[in-house]
Amino acid sequence: MSGALAEKLRAIVGAEHLAAGASLPVDGVTPRFVARPGSVAEVSRLLVLAHAEGLAVAPRGAGTALGLGNRPTRLDLVIALGRLNRVVEYEPADVTVSVEAGMTLDDLERALGKHRQLLPLDPPGWRARTVGGALATNASGPLRFRYGGARDALLGVRFVQADGSVTWGGAKVVKSVTGYDTPKLMTGALGTLGVIVEITLRLHPAPECERSWLLGFASLEAARGCLAALLDSALQPSRIEILNDSALAATGQPPAAAALAVSIASVDEAVRAQGAELDRLGQAAGGTRRVADDFWDLYGSFFAGAGGVRLGIACLATSVTETVATVEALASRRGLTARIGGCAGVGALTAVLEGECPVDAWEPAILTPLRERLADEGGSVIVLQCPVALKERIDVWGPIDSAALALMKRIKSEFDPKGVLNPGRFVGRI
Amino acid sequence: MPLSPAVVSELRRLLGADGLVVTPEGRMTYECDMHTFYKGTPDLVALPRTTAQVFALVRLCRRERVAVVPRGSGTGLIGGAMAPHGGLMISTTRMNEIVEIDLPNRCATVQPGLINLWLSNAVRDRGYFFAPDPSSQMVSSIGGNASTNAGGPHCLKYGVTVNHVLGLELVSGAGELLRLGGKVHDRPGYDLTGVTVGSEGTFGVVTAVTVRLLHVPEGVRTTLAAFASIEDASEAVSAIIAAGIVPAALEMLDEAVIRAINEGIHAGYPKDAAAVLLIELDGPDAEIAVHAERVAAICRDHRALEIRVAKNDAERALLWKGRKEAAGVLGRMTANWLLQDAVVPRSKLPAIMREMGAIAARQNLLIANVFHAGDGNLHPLICYDERRPGEQERAIRANEELLAACIALGGSVTGEHGVGVDKAKNLPMQYAPADLNFMARLRRAWDPDNIMNPGKLLPSHPACGEALRIGAPASIPAGAWV
Repeated sequence: MSGALAEKLRAIVGAEHLAAGASLPVDGVTPRFVARPGSVAEVSRLLVLAHAEGLAVAPRGAGTALGLGNRPTRLDLVIALGRLNRVVEYEPADVTVSVEAGMTLDDLERALGKHRQLLPLDPPGWRARTVGGALATNASGPLRFRYGGARDALLGVRFVQADGSVTWGGAKVVKSVTGYDTPKLMTGALGTLGVIVEITLRLHPAPECERSWLLGFASLEAARGCLAALLDSALQPSRIEILNDSALAATGQPPAAAALAVSIASVDEAVRAQGAELDRLGQAAGGTRRVADDFWDLYGSFFAGAGGVRLGIACLATSVTETVATVEALASRRGLTARIGGCAGVGALTAVLEGECPVDAWEPAILTPLRERLADEGGSVIVLQCPVALKERIDVWGPIDSAALALMKRIKSEFDPKGVLNPGRFVGRI
Repeated sequence: MPLSPAVVSELRRLLGADGLVVTPEGRMTYECDMHTFYKGTPDLVALPRTTAQVFALVRLCRRERVAVVPRGSGTGLIGGAMAPHGGLMISTTRMNEIVEIDLPNRCATVQPGLINLWLSNAVRDRGYFFAPDPSSQMVSSIGGNASTNAGGPHCLKYGVTVNHVLGLELVSGAGELLRLGGKVHDRPGYDLTGVTVGSEGTFGVVTAVTVRLLHVPEGVRTTLAAFASIEDASEAVSAIIAAGIVPAALEMLDEAVIRAINEGIHAGYPKDAAAVLLIELDGPDAEIAVHAERVAAICRDHRALEIRVAKNDAERALLWKGRKEAAGVLGRMTANWLLQDAVVPRSKLPAIMREMGAIAARQNLLIANVFHAGDGNLHPLICYDERRPGEQERAIRANEELLAACIALGGSVTGEHGVGVDKAKNLPMQYAPADLNFMARLRRAWDPDNIMNPGKLLPSHPACGEALRIGAPASIPAGAWV
């Protein structure tokens, strides 16, 4: 690599931490350079340079969710945050932790596990993902039912703005209303307002005892009834996931039209008592079956893989089974298989569609009818991942309310008028 | 900026004759919130009933460049719902309907003026409740709770208001009607709902709120533990949290507060105790049983003098009555007070309580404590009498020293009350200029003409300070809640 820009980048991160972009394309678009900064100060200097030179920058954590968003129209520099992987501050008695953004959730789990504490952020394939990436993409998993999503875990955030300003928002304590809740704005913003470099998180005590059950149903309708009864009970499950038949088959469980996977965590006595109550509810379903603890890693892995077209679907809890049925019907009409699972109590589903379908057919045959079905209840469909050829022809984010989008654009142009950070990739081509 | 007669007529047409408060006596009622230290009377008070009216009001104010000050029940403690620069106050008290209760989706949509407790009352017999429970919940509005991101005793387990707000309808300072979020949890784009909660009316006027409802837990057990010293109680709190137990609420009351509530409302708290912990566990009965034993053991290990478990709802209500009315009762026993709302990391509770004792001794003042110990959210009431020379100055010094000590321990300026005009000057303790600049620019995106609640929340606000009339500190209003 030669040239004036390469020289300037090398001066910031060192020659060994600068690479040509070919190794890390984003949606098939090759950046000119990949820089691996070793400190917040280096991230800041990279962005000062990018801002001055008018570069387009994509932040990168583990790269597992890099397929989220519109295909980049411009891309000069990937800032890979893997070297920012340290615990900054951890006092277990505070039940909070501050970490650098490039730390993986797996490494964090190990650090917390020694103190019997838990960060309940478990999106599919979470072990490989970075904390910063999970927050920037608003990723969540089954534990969201009990503990809330990424926005509920994030207490404080340090980020570098498009012009290189290092900025802090929020607090390092569990309760703070000092100033605006900047961390909420950074959650799910896909790095378009700043590159997240440090994160303070609310933790939870790791449960002493946890057991998981699977409830199989002969029909989605039966699953719906049981789900409603479960949600209206005094049971306090940690997870209530729905699986359609394909997802269930992938986990190696006995076949059924649909299933609910439920886990309960507490002290041993309470898990027993609630497990008995769950059994009683499950009688209507033809009984419950205990599943091993590693079920959840296996389950997540079926939605984290690289293949197919992956959709993130948001709907009402009461329309979860109906939404599953709609996706199944739309997919089968096109000869696609649909593996569907997700948080049934919240209405956050993931669908992996596989098979042959012409790129021009996806929008009219799958996305538009599904979005129309969900429009009335305020639901949405995001294409989390798909082949590049398809991405060129579809609306990845779906329609956004025009007044809200106008405000989002004002916010973006307030902080990044030159379009340095992930330009064009977010909703409304922000 | 004074409002022209033509504008007043326009407002009257919009709201009807009974929808506008114009008389000086009428407007005086709105000159302050429960932080009576700060006073500013609005030029007019609008009492809209509909979102359409609020929309028209904000657009009119934008056209006329008139300040808009939203107000719910006025129970805030920060100088928030008051008009330091005059302008139009929009009171949401008439927008107090429940729009929809959707139990299968465990949520409800309400108008902003609905009283917090009314929502829980409306769904409790069907087994649900609204979790955020500021001590003012029998009078404070859900719109106000959302604007200040209110907390409350049970936020230890259930989280603060923002964790329970799914969607907002509001009219922004730019004059847009925005519908943000909603009953479905995820929505593509920036989390505008999340960042609006806690924005204290500086982004716009909230006209509807969609909130989560939770299923009532199987059981609840409230325990009172009395200690001979505040240090023992503080260490017990840290030990309970460190043991991996998350009580629904974990509140501390010190000697001065115990005395006040025993005399004021005969709550029957132990007379000889220097500190009392109120520990509420909820959840599955089997879990409560195990955790209650552990909590009792921890309290005994920390030399508890007495452990008392509420045997029924009446006893439980009495224990909580003491806590919820403590500040008001205490206020009747001191001429004046200053209230702090700072937060410390939970492990620093024993350290800050020692520091607080040292500050009180140094300034020769009584500092009474009744607060959310479980999440490190302090509420010291610095008691003084302004008629005694030098006392007010010492109280202000004590307040500043305490805040500085909390920040030095890694804490936050305010945990749940908010910023308002009261703490705007303190934000630089917690944030660097770049951080505050980010917030100021965010505000500009929502409110380009700077009409929304000017002078609140940010220290460097252009309009800040000019017309602020700082009245003499008043006595704590009977029945204020902290």
